[in-house]
Amino acid sequence: MTDLHLFWVIQLAPLLAFLLIQVLPKTINKVAPAIGMAFSLTAALASLNLSFAHSQGAGLPVEFSRQWLVVADYAVWPNIPVPHYTLSVGFLLDPLNLLMITLVTTISFFVQLFSFYYMNEDPSRPRYFGFLSFFSFSMTGLVLSNNLLQTFLFWELVGLTSYLLIGFWFEKKSAATAARKAFVINRLADLGFYLGIILLFLLFGTLGFATLKADALRNVLGHGTLTLIGLLIFCGVMGKSAQFPFHVWLPDAMEGPTPVSALIHSATMVAAGVFLLARAFDLFSASHTTLLVILSIGAITALMSATLAAIQRDIKRILAYSTVSQLGLMVMAIGAGSAESGMFHLSTHAYFKSLLFLTSGAFIHRFHTNDIWEIADRGGKKDAVALGCLAFGLLSLSGVPPFAGFFSKDLILEVLKHHGGIFFYGVAVLVSFLTAYYSFRLFFVIALSKIGHEVRAHHESLTLKISRALPLFSLAALSLITGFTGHAFHLNMELLITTVILVVAGGALAYSQFKDPAAAEAALRGNQGFIFKILERKFFMDDAYDFLVKKVGLALGRWLNAFDRAVINSLMVNQTSFSVMRLGRVVSRLQNGLLQDYLAWAVGIGILIVFCFL
Amino acid sequence: MSAAQSLSSYLLISAALFSIGVFGLLSRRNLVAILISLELILNSASLNFVAFNKFSLVDKALGQVFAIFIIALAAAEVCIGLSLILLLHRKKDSINVDEARELRG
Repeated sequence: MTDLHLFWVIQLAPLLAFLLIQVLPKTINKVAPAIGMAFSLTAALASLNLSFAHSQGAGLPVEFSRQWLVVADYAVWPNIPVPHYTLSVGFLLDPLNLLMITLVTTISFFVQLFSFYYMNEDPSRPRYFGFLSFFSFSMTGLVLSNNLLQTFLFWELVGLTSYLLIGFWFEKKSAATAARKAFVINRLADLGFYLGIILLFLLFGTLGFATLKADALRNVLGHGTLTLIGLLIFCGVMGKSAQFPFHVWLPDAMEGPTPVSALIHSATMVAAGVFLLARAFDLFSASHTTLLVILSIGAITALMSATLAAIQRDIKRILAYSTVSQLGLMVMAIGAGSAESGMFHLSTHAYFKSLLFLTSGAFIHRFHTNDIWEIADRGGKKDAVALGCLAFGLLSLSGVPPFAGFFSKDLILEVLKHHGGIFFYGVAVLVSFLTAYYSFRLFFVIALSKIGHEVRAHHESLTLKISRALPLFSLAALSLITGFTGHAFHLNMELLITTVILVVAGGALAYSQFKDPAAAEAALRGNQGFIFKILERKFFMDDAYDFLVKKVGLALGRWLNAFDRAVINSLMVNQTSFSVMRLGRVVSRLQNGLLQDYLAWAVGIGILIVFCFL
Repeated sequence: MSAAQSLSSYLLISAALFSIGVFGLLSRRNLVAILISLELILNSASLNFVAFNKFSLVDKALGQVFAIFIIALAAAEVCIGLSLILLLHRKKDSINVDEARELRG
């Protein structure tokens, strides 16, 4: 099969699965998971095939493109690089795509496998697996597309599936609210993205990634325009990748089923923003102002959410804030000018974070609670498979060598040290320290607590056991080996020592506070300190949005409503019609039916005309 | 030139005829009287035509042709007008113009 055939397989297999699941009669809906898994396995194998065929990177990039429509055959802007405004559709094949597509399809397969265990008792499984397949379709479309507009279309589709899956249990009010919040915030951010695309198309004439080169852009556009376009498109990235101040939707998105969090809200969709930064890197790097803004936003996000992750009790929220923080690190790396290190961290993070989320799903499904103290209380540490995988994931997250997270985080630290300046390097170091701290805190609370309840024996069929353990083990293995696949693989002794010191310090601090989790919890409950309050209120970000929407937004709405009623509606619309009616009433008196009155008018006006014009 | 041979004396008579016609048109309530006033106006017009024809040197016959046209037109108009008045009289038993005001707004 040629590359193009493989592309079509990768792209269409999940869509086919979605359609099949949709048309399936209700009576045999038990096979929905099997369909989902079979097709996602096909896509995963196809993408693995593709990556191995091109592992040397020879002859790349290859573009399969087809003209879609000619928007205008004249240039509204001088010296654009193309004579016509044309839009194309197509696939792009380069190392970046290969990395991302492999990651998306493999994790998608593992998550579907795990979902078979996690959603085993849910009556609406077909809907779940259908949406999951549809997500895979949209995500592969996003990754493979060769131009910004096509990316944007699939970008919106992943947003839609994210909304559908966060609100999967829509009977639960909090889930429905969270889904709405995610949707609205993403739409707000995507508005900027769309404006950026329009502006770029208008002024540059083409949206193909292959033509978006920094030199070409600088030739055509001024620095200010480039910055504006870059920042508008970065706005979309901020929404999707949950960067400050649009990060508030991601922790709430944890209302969805846990495998969904693993796939969409940690590994793939939220990474799409970072992927776009790397994909259209020249667009951003063409203006150093844009890069500086990206760097700063990444730094704020990384630091803010790392501190928030350190006080959460809900295992999924810890991981969610950790995801936001790690995304912030990736964005920082790209802002510092190194798309490679950002993408490298993206890929390692995808594996170990989906591992962590699936592990948390394993805990949650078995112990029916999200609270880490309660998981511990109900016997979390007796669950050897989950605990072992949790340890694997957390070691990778906190950056212990030789786990994958160590290599990628090291690379980011190195990049920031050399290109980001001492301030941003310091932020990244602090974030790494906090990462180690909250990772070890999570582990110590579960592993060191005393078990309060007697642990019930779990009777699960062999199939369920496999579908629980296999994805965990596979992802654990991947999160160990992906670190060695980075093409920029090398060791820097100074940074190695820094990292180890950070991890040990974070671990030690966590151990000193949480060696007795029960006492620590009591202390936590009693803590009324100022900083703790701020952290508990999440830096008042939700309150700020609340204020913006409920106070400012509603006040503005009321004012506009009053303006609309008083000025537009009564004064302009109604008064116009009323005055026409009044005039009509006056004028209709002229038509009194008396013939001689009409004659008198005619004669009078005739005389008037004669005297006026003669 | 005597007064009888000047254009203005013809025009003055014509204007007087016209004014009497308009006055009758506006003041009389009887539809037949209104029709007669209309005839006066038409006649003033034809008088103008003939007078101008006599005192201008363009074409000796043109104004007189128009006067004949107007007489024919007036005959036709009176035909229609009288039949309308007849119909109105059958319907309302009156030929007072103020009685017929069904089309008022």
